[in-house]
Amino acid sequence: MRNVSFIATLAVFALTLAGCNNNPYPAGESTSNVLYRTLSDDPKSLDPSVTYTVDEAQVTDLIYPSYFQYHYLKRDPFVLQLNLGAKEPVREPYVFTDKHGKTVKGERYTFTIKQGLRFQDDPVFPGGKGRAITANDFIYSFKRIADPGVHSPVASFFEDKVVGWKEYAAEFEKKGKAHYDASLPGVQADPRDPYTFRVLLNQPYPQLRFLMAMHFTTPIPREAVEKYGEQFALQHPVGSGPYLMSEYRPKQRIVLIANPNRHPEFYPTEGQPGDREAGLLRDAGKQLPLAQKVVFNINKEAVTSWNLFQQGYLDAAGVGNTNYQQVIAKAGMLTEEMKRKGVQLKRDVQANIYYIAFNMKDPVVGGYTPEKRKLRQAISLAIDSQAFIDLFSQGIGRQAESIIPPGVFGYEPEYKNPYRRYDPDLTRAKQLLAEAGYPNGADKKTGQRLILNFDNSATTPAGRQLVGLVTKQIERLGVKVESRSTRSNVFQDKVNKGQFQFIRYGWFADYPDPENFVFLLYGPNKRPGPNASGYDNPEYNKLFVKMRALEDGPERLAVLRQMRAIAVEDVPWVYINHDEDLSLHYDWLLNVKSHPIANDTTKYRAVDVEKRAQMQRAWNRPNYLPLIAIAGLLVVGAIPAVSVVRQRQNRRVRRADAPEAAAAADSNNNGKASH
Amino acid sequence: MLRYVLRRILYAVPILVGVALLTFVLFYASASPQSLARRNLSTRNPTQEQIQQWLKDHGYDKPLSVQFKNHVTGLLVFRFGKSDATGEPIWNRIKQGAGPSGLVASLVFLTGLTAAISFAVAVAYFRGTYVDYFGTFLCVLLMSIVFIVYVIGLQYLLGKILKYGPIAGFQTGIAAWKFVLLPVVIGVLAGLGSETRLFRTFLLDEINQDYVRTARAKGVGERAVLLRHVLKNALIPIITSTVAAIPALILGSLVLENFFGIPGLGSYLIDAINSQDFAVVRAMVYLGSILYIVGLILTDIAYALVDPRVRLE
Repeated sequence: MRNVSFIATLAVFALTLAGCNNNPYPAGESTSNVLYRTLSDDPKSLDPSVTYTVDEAQVTDLIYPSYFQYHYLKRDPFVLQLNLGAKEPVREPYVFTDKHGKTVKGERYTFTIKQGLRFQDDPVFPGGKGRAITANDFIYSFKRIADPGVHSPVASFFEDKVVGWKEYAAEFEKKGKAHYDASLPGVQADPRDPYTFRVLLNQPYPQLRFLMAMHFTTPIPREAVEKYGEQFALQHPVGSGPYLMSEYRPKQRIVLIANPNRHPEFYPTEGQPGDREAGLLRDAGKQLPLAQKVVFNINKEAVTSWNLFQQGYLDAAGVGNTNYQQVIAKAGMLTEEMKRKGVQLKRDVQANIYYIAFNMKDPVVGGYTPEKRKLRQAISLAIDSQAFIDLFSQGIGRQAESIIPPGVFGYEPEYKNPYRRYDPDLTRAKQLLAEAGYPNGADKKTGQRLILNFDNSATTPAGRQLVGLVTKQIERLGVKVESRSTRSNVFQDKVNKGQFQFIRYGWFADYPDPENFVFLLYGPNKRPGPNASGYDNPEYNKLFVKMRALEDGPERLAVLRQMRAIAVEDVPWVYINHDEDLSLHYDWLLNVKSHPIANDTTKYRAVDVEKRAQMQRAWNRPNYLPLIAIAGLLVVGAIPAVSVVRQRQNRRVRRADAPEAAAAADSNNNGKASH
Repeated sequence: MLRYVLRRILYAVPILVGVALLTFVLFYASASPQSLARRNLSTRNPTQEQIQQWLKDHGYDKPLSVQFKNHVTGLLVFRFGKSDATGEPIWNRIKQGAGPSGLVASLVFLTGLTAAISFAVAVAYFRGTYVDYFGTFLCVLLMSIVFIVYVIGLQYLLGKILKYGPIAGFQTGIAAWKFVLLPVVIGVLAGLGSETRLFRTFLLDEINQDYVRTARAKGVGERAVLLRHVLKNALIPIITSTVAAIPALILGSLVLENFFGIPGLGSYLIDAINSQDFAVVRAMVYLGSILYIVGLILTDIAYALVDPRVRLE
């Protein structure tokens, strides 16, 4: 009877399984025009004035558009085109006398936005209908950036440039939220035209255009921020983009649907050479967004996302430690298995740089004398970028020659940095080290071995590996490297206070202008600003100010080359590498071209719904054979046992005393065995 | 019994105050509010003013004694406030996550317990035969595998290869069953080996008692002896051992939830610790202690229910 109920249980179990499929989405959803993407965690914030990570921007930038946006297809250089803006802003010189009576030569930008723009429908607006957007909604977002209570990460871009910004920001302390009614002197509405506003600057600042392409300068409805309070950041965004958020379930999914109030926007009709052949102009001229719905699955484990992708339930996936072996065969090509499934591989250089920064104020490694420069040049020559790329990025990445990454104006692929030519024998490096006063790594005067301190926050295994690699490479010069690992906030504190000799750091572009990279070595940006090494070369600084105000062109390139030459000789940094990203997508996901800066590219993506549904069905037929086999084995295996016990019981009926003793002996043994 | 339960609840108050004190002291011993602010501001290089503003916004600028008072009183009346990292009300997240978490954890607990007891009874019934030996071997095998291997391996096998259920995701209502199927099967399998072996020992300890001999002497069949007499008496040690497993149950579902994308509370505490979100840490530690205390009280009640000799006074 026991095995009968056992078989019954198994049968019920098998039936439950049979009635089930492994599609993780609500019934019918995956056969509609929807894109499936993944996030590795819940966003911390979707507030456009606050959020600063790429993952969050993938969502935010679809809800909050700005004055400009990046052309989806054009590269080298990246092209800004109008989005909410009606026309190119007018740039005029703006000369005024500041409170110290000094004449300031600044700049005035006049922005004019499109008419007829509306926010998404939301109960906060009269009748629940999205209100018309005016210049005031743009000005409000500038005020939010200035408000210290909002904690906007880009306030520093504006505070030293926009007229009256610092004074305005300081008054929030006293007046609180009511201060939003006061006017920000440097960002003003046009009293005659509700669609025009002006930004007044105390210096020429062409990069303002790029800031006007970031979600920080999107129009924000003040009534929504005030009504929803902290809910505005995550649960209740109110924007004007191609999509609006229709559902957010923490740890589960974020769902965006096409915003009925979005302004008309169309897929680009021209691209770069090769784009047409690659099928990227298939949807030219069609209204955006192409997919009516975007689902972001929140999966904390990379293994989970990877398994879902393999079953066809995600349209795209990244390549990392989890799946590298399965995806990439030798020479960076896709494996046969992936090709068979119709997977496509994309390889893109990122607009970022990893580097070692020397503390230029340090008595040993800092300073600008020829000896000090030679010491740093020697160290620079001892560092093998390829080893970093091989160890930490599976050999995928690009060696950095200077501060500007590929894709950004001023990057020259043919340029070779003389102090980044790694030679395994270190001949030149050792010679420079000797000239610096440390022959074979020992101080010429005292004969003592030179000791360098490497500050880091390496607490993970990968971090310790990195420390090991840096140490090993530099120690080949004969010097000694001591690693000083601390927790990350202590490390950050040491960096800000300049208490280090050298550190490893990285920088990711905010916008694709060389200014966003070369400013990391501009003297006045020294700690706690972004110039961590505290490099301060008057000639470089002068060139920087000149370069900043120039438009892209031969003149600007010439200045950038001069700056590069200075920094390369001074070696405040050892340039290590630029990331290269690998990503996968199925061939049913269309119009895929990655953009290293723009985060709203999802609106251009389309999906071949039929093909996806067909593949999902084909790849996801459950296989019950093993289950049935195991069940069968258990049943067959149990039959003799049942007969044994039956015999035992039957025996008991015939002779009452003997089996008792046997059973007792049995259990004694078992009792002992299990203790 | 009611008086006993009330007394136990009152005893819990000083314990909970102690827990609150300990979290507070440990937190200040391990992290400064400054570093907390730096961790939670999205700026790359926050200025001193931004840090001060953050501290003010989150109440970390007040004197320590005031902070402690707010900390303890807030916890005692379940006023958890907002997350330091996201500003989201903590109760909201707990309300959203408790359902899915509770579903998986309770299913794993109940199914696991039932399965382990049934197997233990079966193995005890077939004791001395090859079923017993093979069962013991299987149990040792199951015990020897690390939990994370169960999760990754079985998710791959049952989800990816055999496609018995969705690999990740969740839906509320009836549709939830297909999403919890694989995690529950895995959770049960992972605990089955050690529990079966343990329970089998409890059963065999009882089988040698005099009352069993008496029952057999009266002519009671082996099956009835096991189910009616032995199992009932073995329940006391079984209950004791399962309560000891409650913390492991909560931690276990953390891994299950992360891998199967179940929107529960499992990773809420760990994430909060990683991002130094003290507001969430103190709320979750406090709730955890309450759950544990409730578990202990329930155990005592269960003792009284299964064993007429135990009286709660």
